[in-house]
Amino acid sequence: MAIAETDGSRPARRCYRAEVPRSLEEKSSALASVPLFAGISSQSMARLADSAGEVEFGPGQFIVRQGQVGTGLYVILDGSVTVLRGSDELARLGNGDFFGELSVIDQQPRNASVRAAEQTTCLALASWDLLALVESDPAFALNLIRGLVGRVRAAGEHHRH
Amino acid sequence: MMMSQEELVDTLAGLSLFSNLSRPQVEQVAHKMTEESYPAGQRILRQGFSGTGFYVIIDGEVAIKIDGEERARLGKGDFFGEMSILLGEPPVADVVTTRQLRVLHLGGPELEEFLRDYPPVMYRMLKTLALRLRNASRWRS
Repeated sequence: MAIAETDGSRPARRCYRAEVPRSLEEKSSALASVPLFAGISSQSMARLADSAGEVEFGPGQFIVRQGQVGTGLYVILDGSVTVLRGSDELARLGNGDFFGELSVIDQQPRNASVRAAEQTTCLALASWDLLALVESDPAFALNLIRGLVGRVRAAGEHHRH
Repeated sequence: MMMSQEELVDTLAGLSLFSNLSRPQVEQVAHKMTEESYPAGQRILRQGFSGTGFYVIIDGEVAIKIDGEERARLGKGDFFGEMSILLGEPPVADVVTTRQLRVLHLGGPELEEFLRDYPPVMYRMLKTLALRLRNASRWRS
């Protein structure tokens, strides 16, 4: 890890981000590269850039805790996270991946915890904003469905081994 | 025996997948999807093979089998086939009728447009998938 620590480029970029909040346009262009938001309308994108907040997490910090009722969905803009159930590591997610949607959709407690594996920037989308997007933008709802379908299948396949 | 259009619309309106649609929308759905009937013991989706569709059960029952082992059963109001279509991958399970089955069928390439046209159906599907994911996770833990 010594190499990572002496590599000036990534930490420098993070400092910049932390000190200077991104403009709406910068946020929109970052969001446009996230698969979950691919093909959504320009109104949805503007609404998203306006309502969603960027949140920073330090290495090891919990973003979501198993058993709590979720208040939102997170999209990883920069960094990576570990998905845990109890002490079992279920998955590792990186840039462009999202998590936390299940609890928003079914209003049940979180079924896993998520912990930042390194310094990680997430976009946080509140439950009501997410549900408003689902209802107003079919392209977004379809992206979300595709994400869930992929997870259902992965969970099923995991079970087979 | 096929139902009259009127009976079919009544039946569809009672399924949770279509429960948030207006009567005219349910009539459109009945028109867009094709009613099909299968005898007991017939394989409708085949594990590992492409060429699929989206199916909504209006009467009867199917078994979901992976590598020949039964994993689940689906009945009236349940749907299948959407996972492969949306992922663009072959089915990971066989779907086999356990008795006489009546379904509504929609061709794979039409599913996305169908969902876009009927957001309440998409929302119902989202809820069902969330439930499936919960169950899959519960199983595993």
